[in-house]
Amino acid sequence: MDTALSVAVVLAYVLVLTFVALRARAARQFAEFSLARRALPLALVFGSLAATYVGPGFSIGFVGRGFKSGFLFLVIGLAYSLQNILVGLLLAPRLRGLKDCHTLGDAIGQKYDRKCQILAGIISVGLCAGFAAVMAKAGGVVVHDIFGLPGWSSVILVVGITTLYTTFGGLRASVITDAFQFTAFAILLPITLLLALIFHLAGGPAGFAREASAVTTAGFHSTPPIEIVGLVAAFLLGETLIPPYANRALASKTTRISRNGFILAGLFSIVWFTVMIALGVVARSIVAPNTDEDYVLLKSVELIMPAGGRALLLVVLVSVVMSSLDSLLNAGAVAFAQDIVKPFGRVDDSAALNIGRGATIVIAATAAAGAVAVPSIISGLLICYTIWAPAILPALIIGLWTKHPRPLAGILSMCVGTFVAIIFQFVFPSATRVPAIIPALGAALLAYIVGHWVEKIRSGA
Amino acid sequence: MGLVILVLVVIGALLAIASGVWVAVALVGAISVNRAVPEARCQTDEASND
Repeated sequence: MDTALSVAVVLAYVLVLTFVALRARAARQFAEFSLARRALPLALVFGSLAATYVGPGFSIGFVGRGFKSGFLFLVIGLAYSLQNILVGLLLAPRLRGLKDCHTLGDAIGQKYDRKCQILAGIISVGLCAGFAAVMAKAGGVVVHDIFGLPGWSSVILVVGITTLYTTFGGLRASVITDAFQFTAFAILLPITLLLALIFHLAGGPAGFAREASAVTTAGFHSTPPIEIVGLVAAFLLGETLIPPYANRALASKTTRISRNGFILAGLFSIVWFTVMIALGVVARSIVAPNTDEDYVLLKSVELIMPAGGRALLLVVLVSVVMSSLDSLLNAGAVAFAQDIVKPFGRVDDSAALNIGRGATIVIAATAAAGAVAVPSIISGLLICYTIWAPAILPALIIGLWTKHPRPLAGILSMCVGTFVAIIFQFVFPSATRVPAIIPALGAALLAYIVGHWVEKIRSGA
Repeated sequence: MGLVILVLVVIGALLAIASGVWVAVALVGAISVNRAVPEARCQTDEASND
């Protein structure tokens, strides 16, 4: 009976998701594929942004961290919330205000020159493929754990379904399915917490507070301050305006919606981190103390929810991964068509659409193949953060806030930032105790200043 | 103190659920009449929409 109910729930969820994806319709123009015709309302921008950033790290990962170190990660997560709010206040409206801008590379191209656009495009596509490989791995792990399928077929299943609707529907399908998936997990995971608080809270409110206080104190004592600084830096800067977020800023109906979407997404992240970490703290009285961090949420769901709800929640966990993966595939494909192909010659609309669709499939295949090389979900994400922030942020932020930024400064900053991040991350990982993102950011900023002054002197301005 | 922390957590959970309901209502509106992406509008008013 339980099995039949679980299968029925899973089938019903897949049917509704298919219906929602079909209602999004296939994109017929590149403007639909890349920016959903710049007509997204606030609720969909907010829901899609939140669904994109709530991946396995901010759900499974945060519950595990709450289980091990209490509310320590809420403090670290606040850096991420602050980042979203600052992007909403300072960057998203400026980005949205640019005319005929499809990607971050486009924005950099408008502010600097075509060479900078191509370089930003290459970095964007590479990073989207890297992030997508991490998501593919996470999706494979979740499907494997839930349905017992072999690892490789789990990865292919998750990547295949996501690629199908993203290839045909583009950003519009991505945003609409994101909104559906957001609805599912934003309602069901907090309900799981409420059920745990009502039926599984050992010692009442005082017991919960005692447990939270003890595990949080232990978390602060066992984490070196330099590691906390590195994590705060990674959460503050690592995901700032990565291509999927930039696409949503650009696709908003107005600059005001673009700004408010990011601010609301930042505020929601505070609420979300609180819920996930509280679930981890409550899980301490539900699952065995030696449970692996990555399995705390899955085990808790098994013990808290009734059969039907359990099946639904486990499918929702797959959705958490898919909603991040589809955004990355679309953003990478749009960056490839707009920033790497289009600058080399005139491409008509239908050709650009086909290039975008082809790029979606190639990036998805690369991500599925690369999933085996991802060391772990969290470390894979941290590697991507370490490269993205120094490679793009100095050039992008200074470019958006100055009238005539110098192209040499942009090129130097992107090249040096990427190079130093790779050197400190992969070649000499133990060269310094400081996380690689910090020296790489410093080097990128220095290179920007040098490039600016060299070009200023050369032009005699 | 324990009760205060618990109340904050419960309020957080309810806010998350409310956000999910808000997006669900917008989603139903968008897909039921295909309003998610109306025909292209003039882009000249974008910057002045503030």
